Amino acid sequence: MPDPLDALRLPIVPVDPRPAFAEALLRRIAGQAEIDVRPAATVRYFVHDLDAAVAFYRRHLDFEEEVLARPSFAMLARGDLRLMLSVPGGPAGSHVLPDGTVPEPGGWNRISLPVTDLDARVEALRRGGVTFRAGVVAGVGVRLALLQDPSGNPIELFERSRRQDP
Amino acid sequence: MSTVSVRYIVDDVEAAIAFYCRHLGFREEMHPDPAFAMLSRGDLRLVLVAPVPADHRGGGSRPMPDGRKQEPGGWNRFMIEVPDLAGEVESLRREGVRFRNDIVTGVGGRQVMIEDPSGNPVELFEPLRPEARLGR
Repeated sequence: MPDPLDALRLPIVPVDPRPAFAEALLRRIAGQAEIDVRPAATVRYFVHDLDAAVAFYRRHLDFEEEVLARPSFAMLARGDLRLMLSVPGGPAGSHVLPDGTVPEPGGWNRISLPVTDLDARVEALRRGGVTFRAGVVAGVGVRLALLQDPSGNPIELFERSRRQDP
Repeated sequence: MSTVSVRYIVDDVEAAIAFYCRHLGFREEMHPDPAFAMLSRGDLRLVLVAPVPADHRGGGSRPMPDGRKQEPGGWNRFMIEVPDLAGEVESLRREGVRFRNDIVTGVGGRQVMIEDPSGNPVELFEPLRPEARLGR
């Protein structure tokens, strides 16, 4: 049975936003900033360990932390991408389906992040202990690599080929 | 202009293009190969690929070096903000779209999960307070 107070809990969850985001949020709540925000492409990933995931995306893939609401939610950003990290289940039963199915990390659908120095990035990530599902492969007009976050979610890095394939 | 790329694995690229363009307001950018299409919606570029053999020229949906095949499904998904979730759900149901759950009200918004023809999830989200909008 969902707690009807959940809808009112935003101000009292243990949120730990980075200062710039917190200021913007406060201005928006106070009605001092335009609400007409630019839509950001948003993706939700499920993770088992929130802190490990946040550390991974910040350290290895240049994400910034916008909101950290332990123990089950974080919001990160990288350029125009907003990445929501959710821990399934938890005290509020978040994201559990009516039939009891609990969402899991993993699968093959993924965010695809542009980089300009794929080989160097892959090498540095490997040195940093990051797990790859597949090393660099060449496709049509792009080269790609597929790695995993600590919960096993796929992330693709791509670099446009210098020459267009014939 | 689309600046964020998400790749979804689908069984049938044609059916996926029809689904995303008809029901969710995507636009077809290119479909140069039966196993590949690129769609866009606002800032999101959605790359749809069907699994291909290891020697296929498309690099994004080949099997892994250890032989594992890429497949649709899972739980990770992109989100679409809608102004009226209940109305959207009603019209999508009329159009025959599959749902994984009913509308759930959480912190700051309501959401629901639908599936594309290959079983990939998409989350529809209606912010209940302005600061919960999917903007930056």
